[in-house]
Amino acid sequence: MIEILNGGTQTTIQDSGRHGLRHLGMPASGAADKFSFALANWMAGNRWDAPALECALGGLHIRFTSDTTFGLAGAEMWAQVNGQNIKNFTAISVHKGDILTLSFARDGCRAYIAIAGGLKIPEFMASVSTYLPAKIGGIDGRALKAGDKLPISHRPREMPRSIPKGFIPNLSRHVVLRSLPAPEWDGLDKASRRHLFVSPFHASSATDRMGSRLRGDKISMSKQMTEVSMTSSPLIPGTLQVPADGQPILALADGHCTGGYPRILQVIRADLWLLGQIAPGSQVSFRRCLSEDAPQILKARNSFYNGLIDGFSF
Amino acid sequence: MPLKKNQSLNTARNTVQDPHLLDYGDSSVLIHYDLPAGTHYSADINNTIHALAQALRTSQNWLEIVPAYDSLLCQFDMSKITLSAAKSSIKKHIKNLKPKPKSTQNVIEIPVAYGGAHGPDIDAIQKTSKLSHKALVKLHAETLYNVCMLGFIPGFSFLSEAPEPLHHPRHATPRAHVPAGSIGIAGWQTGIYGLDSPGGWQIIGRTPLKLFDPSREDPFLIKAGDKIQFIPIDAKFFDGFSV
Repeated sequence: MIEILNGGTQTTIQDSGRHGLRHLGMPASGAADKFSFALANWMAGNRWDAPALECALGGLHIRFTSDTTFGLAGAEMWAQVNGQNIKNFTAISVHKGDILTLSFARDGCRAYIAIAGGLKIPEFMASVSTYLPAKIGGIDGRALKAGDKLPISHRPREMPRSIPKGFIPNLSRHVVLRSLPAPEWDGLDKASRRHLFVSPFHASSATDRMGSRLRGDKISMSKQMTEVSMTSSPLIPGTLQVPADGQPILALADGHCTGGYPRILQVIRADLWLLGQIAPGSQVSFRRCLSEDAPQILKARNSFYNGLIDGFSF
Repeated sequence: MPLKKNQSLNTARNTVQDPHLLDYGDSSVLIHYDLPAGTHYSADINNTIHALAQALRTSQNWLEIVPAYDSLLCQFDMSKITLSAAKSSIKKHIKNLKPKPKSTQNVIEIPVAYGGAHGPDIDAIQKTSKLSHKALVKLHAETLYNVCMLGFIPGFSFLSEAPEPLHHPRHATPRAHVPAGSIGIAGWQTGIYGLDSPGGWQIIGRTPLKLFDPSREDPFLIKAGDKIQFIPIDAKFFDGFSV
């Protein structure tokens, strides 16, 4: 078991998410940075998609009530065990009574803590992922708080291990997202098509698991587009929408399933994990990707990591 | 009716013209139907979309099939098919779609307490429509609605067009709290809130039924493609329904 001493800014229980339910208005949720989540589980010797803790921005303190091992991955948060610094992207053995503390996020937004064996949490619609707006998943569908006690499951597992050199991702306060046109791309005015890829945006304080409001050069749609109001249409994580004020919104893991603003860009699948590392204040840039390159980029990434993490794909 | 024009072009098959297939990033295709000029909703198009969604779901290549008013999102599994294969598969399904597909015949009766504390905005709509309370309720409830899509929050049901006198713009500033089950109007649309949430729709009534209840075996009461019949109830019976 582990005991939460301090939930921090927002710590939730996540797995790979509940997929295929967007037609019911239910987003997939799941780890916002699926890649760091998978690495944390791999280090702990778990299946890549075992339930783990996702801590946004920092402040999480937990106590272990038995000897165990955990994998730590994602944003650097100056983690310590009993006041001793520990390294990010490593597996750490702890004893009964040891206390893990995360400070604040530096080069990203979310850290993942996977306990050997995985957390034992009841599933809702085939996933334990916490989705706060509907109060489902995790513990009563809410963020974790002091006093919560989380049981660990004891499924057969591999020995804990460390990530080989070259497999650790580089996180930064400047997130670069390769993108392709989304359905209303053609409705952008000409100047905005240029601005979009030249000047970086800043993620505003309105940045959470649902989406990130970006601040930067005003992005405008052509006159024709602004005159007709759009009928609500489906949305997916990684879509950049432009409301009338010209400050775009990037949809994340818990984002709405439908929306009424023009959709101009879609982040390629291989880069979707990076969305989870956008913190308030991060710089966000978009890079144009060629549509024929996107499947190749994905294939290359998947084959590189498949040898390491069984069953995982971006 | 602009629909007439399409009928003459395509009398043998269907009043609905073939849709556009738009690329949506590297792993999705958006099927978009043009509405007849000057209209904002077409039941024929929406029925076609739900029939197409059903046909596409028979394949394992899709991760998400999400129908909306005049569009349908198809997210494919990039490890199984390519974008061009996804598009040809969609084209094939569009071609093979039966003429005049009917939406499912599943009619769900939804009891609604109109007005009062459950429908705080009904007075505003009464004013613009110049209808009496009774006439307004009758007009809203006697229409059989299509469930065009679910979205926004789990269970939120976007329904087909409300009768024209009831059309009303959203609140300029959304309410911080709209209770689950509230029935609202936004422009020409009418809909039901699946969960307590902030929202800007004009609230005219509320159903005691839970559209989304995680404790039920099937948490979703309503699916896109269903039909909705509202049954007006007296506010005093509202609590009796809440089981």
